[in-house]
Amino acid sequence: MKQFSALLLKEWRENLRNYKIFWIPIVFILLGITEPLSNYYLPQILDATGGLPEGAVIELPDPEPEQLMVAVMGQFQLIGMLVLVLAYMGSIAGERRNGTATLLYVRPLSYVSYFLSKWLMASAVALLSVWAGFLAGYYYTAVLFSAVPFGEFLAFAATYSVWIVLVVTLVLFASASMPNGGLAAGLTLAALLILQLIHSLFGSQWDWSPFRLPNYAASFLDIGPDAVALAWTLALSLVCLLILATMGIWFAKRNRAKTKV
Amino acid sequence: MLDERTILLVLPILVLQLALMIFAIVDLIRNPNPNGPKWMWAAIIVLLNLIGPILYFVIGRRNY
Repeated sequence: MKQFSALLLKEWRENLRNYKIFWIPIVFILLGITEPLSNYYLPQILDATGGLPEGAVIELPDPEPEQLMVAVMGQFQLIGMLVLVLAYMGSIAGERRNGTATLLYVRPLSYVSYFLSKWLMASAVALLSVWAGFLAGYYYTAVLFSAVPFGEFLAFAATYSVWIVLVVTLVLFASASMPNGGLAAGLTLAALLILQLIHSLFGSQWDWSPFRLPNYAASFLDIGPDAVALAWTLALSLVCLLILATMGIWFAKRNRAKTKV
Repeated sequence: MLDERTILLVLPILVLQLALMIFAIVDLIRNPNPNGPKWMWAAIIVLLNLIGPILYFVIGRRNY
């Protein structure tokens, strides 16, 4: 426990000094603000960029606030996830290359504490970013259009949080198992893309998959997901998370021999 | 078109982008060994809004 808090303090300082704790949330907040704002100014933007005949009247229906929140989530699924994967791809693999690992691994190190300290810090930054981004999007949507019911919004963001923690776990597992950060990012993105593709091709009946989490999050803003399917999805996500974390700890221990001295 | 309301709405975006740029520039100045020439990264950070600082933090910092 003492070792864990020492390692967590190290992770905290590292995230503070490489500014991850500042710049990742800022990116998510910008993504959250831009979506409602660009929808609000869409008529002016169309007007300014031209291409419409003189005197044409554009009648755009106001987008539903729920649609805007789902669009913000879509941005997080693309750019946000890419940023998170690239930011944390090197957290274990990079340490083996830049010498930090040499300082750590010569001590009697608990690899459980080692992996979990990284996992806790990365998840905290990811959750901070996602919630800050969603709240910024929620606020702008409420000011410019109308508010989504706050209870529905909380359920939506909470469900999406489970998904983002799962993604962070996958990145750390990849970082522990791969020889360098680039390959770790490649493995994570390939796994996410291929599994999502398989899911959209064959998965219309797979209601219990972790890949359904973003869909279930979005449906909280609509009629709400099926409670049984959601419960099984959450249980299965927890199992996936535990498996990935266990394998990550095992790989972190096994790959210590690859450390550059 | 640039009425007070628009400015108030867009101001947070400008402030946040400026903050991101400042974080990246401060880190670049203090970085002894960036992944490429410093003047190039300075130009990328300042000229490319939003993408520039992200590129620097992800690629230029050599933390992988």
